[in-house]
Amino acid sequence: MFGRQLVLAGLGVAAGLLGALVGVGGGVLVVPGLVLLFGVDIRVAVATSLIAVVATSTAAGSVYVGSGTANMRLGMTLEVATTLGGITGGLLAAWIAPSVLGALFGVMMGITAVLMFRARESHAAATATEGPRAGWEDTAHLGGGFVDERGAVVAYHAKRIPLGLALSLVAGVASGMLGVGGGIIKVPAMALGMRVPFKVAAATSNFMIGVTAASSLFVYFARGDVHPAIAAPTAVGVTVGALLGTALSHRIAPKALRRVLAVVLLFAGVQMFLRVFGVTLGR
Amino acid sequence: MIVQGALRAGLGVAFALLASGMIVAAFAGEAAARPVALRALFGPLDLGSRLMGLGILVLGLTPVLRVLLLVLLWVREHDYRHAMIAAFVLLTLIVSIAFGVPA
Repeated sequence: MFGRQLVLAGLGVAAGLLGALVGVGGGVLVVPGLVLLFGVDIRVAVATSLIAVVATSTAAGSVYVGSGTANMRLGMTLEVATTLGGITGGLLAAWIAPSVLGALFGVMMGITAVLMFRARESHAAATATEGPRAGWEDTAHLGGGFVDERGAVVAYHAKRIPLGLALSLVAGVASGMLGVGGGIIKVPAMALGMRVPFKVAAATSNFMIGVTAASSLFVYFARGDVHPAIAAPTAVGVTVGALLGTALSHRIAPKALRRVLAVVLLFAGVQMFLRVFGVTLGR
Repeated sequence: MIVQGALRAGLGVAFALLASGMIVAAFAGEAAARPVALRALFGPLDLGSRLMGLGILVLGLTPVLRVLLLVLLWVREHDYRHAMIAAFVLLTLIVSIAFGVPA
């Protein structure tokens, strides 16, 4: 029992650490890790991942002084759609065959891998600017401003809110069904779709994903998909790894690491996808 | 800030529960991982699973706490529009939790 706890915690630490260094959520690594390496049922893996996402989101929120550049009003407005999506996704997961869920997850991993190859700014770099309160929110409109690293004041207004809400709904469903944070959809939705500066989008997304994950987590908890013996060590490991990774992110250049991780994601994603056809490589 | 303190407290309680549950479970030598539904936490259950399960519950409630604090903060700032938006999100979360409560 203790041995298994240790191994699961180790998987968690690796997922959290790599995720924080490279700027992807731990979920995209936890779920395939549990499914492919431990043979865990995907719904249990998703529930475990959601718990880990909540843990890291709350941990980040408790460590960073103030909200930094995150726009809570924007985040909360979008969360109206994301939480509804999260519950929907969590409920839908019961109706979709595990192998199909795995295949969907594989596709998502492939997309993440491609985006990682192309990413110029990393999530980690963006959130590394969190610190003493350097931003503000415009309460009348969904906008605000912040002081960037050069000391220049950047003001912005969020545009195309209906589009943002629609994409947030999709992100919520993805989070609820696949156990990921959804940042991979939310950050571009805010940055590209809503014309919000990237740093604000990344920081706001980090705040949002915990709320979204909680909304779907309870659906899984109700259904009995939570295995505490699996979830507890994994969540502890992911949190430790994420905090470690955030502390180290200043010293490690993410580019090479991101490339390696993208290849791993692609390989694991293909494996997840092939399982729907009954093809299992290795084990 | 109050929010940081509250989140840290919540996280601390959650992790204390998770860690103690893991230790109890390891010494009790439970054979297989067992699924635990939310409502089962309050019924007959081995101590290790109960502690870990409660830790997961507390963890899941920390974002709920975060949203609640924002409702209160925005009411205090007289930003009633966003306080109501946050209250709606809070309601959604409560509905989600209610799924776990026996009908």
